Parts: sequence; structure tokens; C-alpha cells
Amino acid sequence: MKLLEDRAKAWLRARALQVPEGRVATTPGEAGAIARDLGGRVAIKALVAAGRRGKAGAVRLAEGGEAAEAAAQAILGMELAGQRAERVYVEAAVEIAAELYVSFGFGRLAPQVVVSRRGGVDIEAVAESDPGGLIAADIDPLRGLRVWEAADLWDRAGAESALIPQLAALTARLYEAFQAADALMLEVNPIAVTHDGKLSVVGAMMEIDDNALFRHAAWRDLGLDDAGPGGRPLNERERAVVAADRKFPGGAIRYTELPGDIGLFVSGGGAGLLQHDLVLAAGGRPANHSDLSPATVDKPAALFDAIFANPGARGMLVGMNYLQLLPCVLIIEALLVSLRRSKVDPRGFPIVVRVFGPKEDEARALAASVPGLRYLPHGASLEEAVREIVAAVKTIRP
Amino acid sequence: MSILIDRDTRVVVQGATGSQARFDIRYCLDYGTRIVAGVTPGRGGESVEGVPVFNTVRAAVAATGANASAVYVPARGVKEAVLEAVDAGIRVLACFAENVPRHDAAAAVAAARAAGARIVGFNTNGIISPGRSKLGGIGGDRAGEIYAPGRIGVCSRSGGMSAEICWMLSRGGLGASTCVSMGGDPIVGMRMVEVLEMFETDPETDACIIFGEPGGTHELEVAEALRAGQLKKPIVALIAGQFQENYPAGVSFGHFAAVIRGENDTASAKRRLLAAAGARIAGSLEEIPELVR
Repeated sequence: MKLLEDRAKAWLRARALQVPEGRVATTPGEAGAIARDLGGRVAIKALVAAGRRGKAGAVRLAEGGEAAEAAAQAILGMELAGQRAERVYVEAAVEIAAELYVSFGFGRLAPQVVVSRRGGVDIEAVAESDPGGLIAADIDPLRGLRVWEAADLWDRAGAESALIPQLAALTARLYEAFQAADALMLEVNPIAVTHDGKLSVVGAMMEIDDNALFRHAAWRDLGLDDAGPGGRPLNERERAVVAADRKFPGGAIRYTELPGDIGLFVSGGGAGLLQHDLVLAAGGRPANHSDLSPATVDKPAALFDAIFANPGARGMLVGMNYLQLLPCVLIIEALLVSLRRSKVDPRGFPIVVRVFGPKEDEARALAASVPGLRYLPHGASLEEAVREIVAAVKTIRP
Repeated sequence: MSILIDRDTRVVVQGATGSQARFDIRYCLDYGTRIVAGVTPGRGGESVEGVPVFNTVRAAVAATGANASAVYVPARGVKEAVLEAVDAGIRVLACFAENVPRHDAAAAVAAARAAGARIVGFNTNGIISPGRSKLGGIGGDRAGEIYAPGRIGVCSRSGGMSAEICWMLSRGGLGASTCVSMGGDPIVGMRMVEVLEMFETDPETDACIIFGEPGGTHELEVAEALRAGQLKKPIVALIAGQFQENYPAGVSFGHFAAVIRGENDTASAKRRLLAAAGARIAGSLEEIPELVR
């Protein structure tokens, strides 16, 4: 989950880091009032999860309440990276003499820090034009980032000697804030150096680990992850699956709709990826991708519901890998529950089932009560299951 | 021989009184795994499937000489469970919970590595050395049918695919020395290349099969080690997820780690780099027995 600038800065400010004073406005009038209250020059920024806001005209400087209102008027309602700017952040403008860069994220095994004396610009461009200008290092998560280690990084990055003690202290404390937030990413771009040699956190973005929200009650209810493929909003079937995933305990379900006509009830992460590849290779077009990990009947049934509710789907592959943790009969129970409540008849909507593993005999007996279900014989390969569903859907395609 | 676990491995189960742990303990005992202790704080003195339960790993190790742990503790408790086990002298751990908080995973892996311990997972379904021992739910109640003993080392990013690959080997008259499900979380305790390095020095492994996915650099590290001559045994690679290249970068379709972020992260790029380094690329499961023979 991304934290926009207001929440990211609130987190850092609460940890006594040097962050300019600022507040959120949703109307030009509110922005003007905040500007009058702060006094002096203010920066007005669109609160959207998009980079390069400055270039798009979504960051403006203004002096006085009227100018701030006009700037907010211009920004509110702008479209940036597919999102409408509905809120702006109004903060005291910092007089900037120099700009630096620091970010924290994760490498293969450990947290990583990157520093550069070239801040305030697109860091990907620096990585390309001046790779030596970025200094990166792994951080031992058990001991944290020591101030002297941060000083060494800034020294290697070519920072001005007089700034290094302050930069090192700030960087070490930013790491503590990164860890305490359970952040996956924290980027400060720029760290501003003022004319009197003070540091200020002027740009801040954070991404929080959804899997650690149990430790952060204040962020837990901020909203759904809205991104479908290509950044489109989730449709009602996808939302229903997210809601069911949160509602029922244990396991996990995922569902992403696609433009084809073969519903995929696939699981096991990698096995699902392989079956999707195989469907395409066999000339089929998936109507969705899915994933499932061991659960009660509720989650798989909700996943079946979504596949049946998709107007594009004309048939379905229940293509589980050889099950090792989950009893087969649970999948068939979930299928029957959903067939009933979705009013789907497998005689007109081909369903190929390849479910092997614990309690397979019970699963087969239960499946035999539904006319038209094609339960493949024990030992059929993933490839055979894919060929069967692709052929079956072809015969009913209009 | 085999890697990581063998007939003599003495296993403690952390979180032994949970329902999944009970289920797996039964099947592991039936398979022949020497499960010598369980641990659930507050439940010391009880037993699960005849296995004595202790309050701490330290007490379990002192009483039973356990040297490997199957960690069934839920995601939010995994870091503490790993630190406890490593501190008590455990040197091989399988961690089953998925979606472990990233900072916790990094801290647990750092502690294990500092002590010379190996973590398989997070989000693994286990390790099996067919006919000798298994750690975790891998193989379910039919481990004997799916996983035949043999001389092929298997390392898979997907637990489901470790079963499909080994079952295909069994039907082709082949079998596995050890099969390692690495785990699907973004940070896992052992890199794929580290598992293959263990197979490289195992005298009972002749060749290896890897199952890879888009996202991350496991497969690229294997290609690098192959090219550098650090891995000499033949490697067959099955890399799934090419379909993701039809969709925008950053979209997750399965394991969280299988998100494409860079140009070398795709299934096609991984196949190309592995093939150039000398690995044999399988287009489907059905081709595997021929390619590895």
C-alpha cells in the first residue's frame, strides 16, 4: 500500500525528523486558509500516487492566500497518471541551496539504502547517465544502519564534508522510520539543504507492507488495492473476490479478469502460471487468472462464483496441481455450492476437472452427482487437461 | 546421501498443536520422518500423534537432540520462532507460513545465516528426500506415489510444481535425491543457486531440474553460476509465466515474488539466459524425463 506525501510526512514528523510544516486541502478556499496560516511562500502539490508531478504542473509555489487559492484551483481536478487530483498538500516552502537523494528498499535478502548527491531529479535518469553517482549498500536488519556507516556512504557519494555529520544522522534515523513503519520503500527526493546549511525532508514517498498491517491499525482501513491489470479499476467480480478473501479466515484467493473465454480455476502459484501458458499455447484464451492457497470451502466457492459471473467465460478448467495439503473433496464441495447458487449447468458450460490428491475418492463420488462434469482419470497430465478444455470451449464458441 | 534432510534428521515441529501441523505430523510419521518433539508455548507436557510437546525449542532440543525444525507458526510469529530455533542450535528450518512481513523475513534470514543455519521458505510446502525423510506437507498422504527415490535434484519456486515434476519423473522411471520447494515469498532463506550448489557436491545427485517463474533473480544467478563453471551437473529448466508478458509490468498473477519489474525478469528472458549458459529448457512437463535422462 502506497502512502501519499501527507501520510508519509506525518509519519516522519511524528518521529522528530526535519519535515516542513504542511496540511491537506480539498478546496481552493482551504488551501488559501492554510497558506495564510503558514505565512510566507508555500508549495502546493497534488496528492496522487504519480511521479514527475512537477513537470506536469501539479506542484506550484505561491505567496499569500489568494495566490495559493489560484494554484490550488489549477491543480484540483487535474488528471495525473490516470488519477484525478482531489486533494492538495500545502506546505511551507523551503529555500533550497542544494538537493540530495536517499531511498530505502529491499534487495535479495536484506534491506538496502541508496544515496546520491544528485537529488531533486529523476533518479532513474541519474542511474543511466551517471551510475557512479548512486551509492548503494545492504543493511544488516539485526543491527540497523549505524551513523558512521551512513557517513561512509555520503563520503563515497561525494557529499560536501561539512554536511556529512548531519546527513549521516538523518539517514540513520530515516532507516529507523522505514523499519518502524514496516515500509517496503521510503524515498526522500529531495533532501533539501537550505542557505544556512540545514537539512529538510522536502519530498517523501512510502510504500507499506500489507502483510504487516496488523502492527499498524491506523493504516489498515485506508482502502482497497485498486489496481487491476494496466492500472484499470477492479470490476465487480474482482472486488467481490477481494472482499471474500478478507472476510473468510485462512488461505487466500486471487482473481484477475482477462478478455478471453476460458475460466481458469488454477492454483499453486507456479502451477497456475504454467497452465495459463499451456492454454495460450493450445490456442485457448483465458477469461481470467486465479490463485488459491489452502482454505475452507468459502474462499474457493467465492472464486468459482466470480468465474461463473464473468459474462465472457464459456467454460472452465479446474486445474489444480497434485494436491498435497488440501483435500480434493473440498474443491468439489465448493464447486457444487457455487454451481447451485450461480445456476450454472455443466452440460452447457464445459467444466474440466483435474484434481488429484488426498480424499480423491470422495471427490469423485461427489462430482459424479453432477451431470456433465468432466473429471479426468487419475494420472492425466496438466497438458491433457488443458487440451481437453480448449477443445470443449471451441465447440460451443458462437 | 541427499541434501538438507536424511534418515537421521531429528525434527522438532514448532506450532505443533495447530490443525495443519497435526495433519502433517501424522503423514510425516507414516512416511518415516523422525519427528522427535513438538513445541507450543503453554502446552508443554501434552503430546501430538504420540510426539511429546515442549514449551520451548531449547527444552525440546535438550530432551530429544532435534537438529531440524518444521515451523508451522503463523506469519506474524515466524521471526521470533526462527530466532528461537537458531539460538537453540537448529541448523535446518522449513518455514511454511506465507506473506511473512518483509522486515521480519529479512531479520530471520540474517540471524540464520549468521549462525550457519539454512532456512527453506518462507511459503514452502516442504523438503523431501524420497524414501528417507520429509519435512512438511509435501506429498500429502501420497508422498510415495508422487516422489520416487532417484538421482535427480529438484528445486522449485512452486510447491505444486515440485509435485507435478516429481510425479512426471516417477512415471518416467526416474526419481529425486531431494526435492526442495524454495517458497514463494519475495525473501526466501536459500537462493536457488545455493540449493544447486548443495546438489553439486552431493554424490547421489547426477542432474538437476529447476522450476522458475517471472520476477526476481533466482534463475539469473543460476545462469551466472553455470556460465562461470561453478555448477557442472546438467540442469533442466522449466520456466512458467510467459503469458504475463502480454500484460503491463507490475501486475501480480500468483506468487508475490513473480511480479515482472525489469527486462530480465520475464519468463522468456530467463529461458534465453539459462539456455545460453548451457541449461536445457523444457517447454512442458511432458518433455522433462527425456531431457534429464
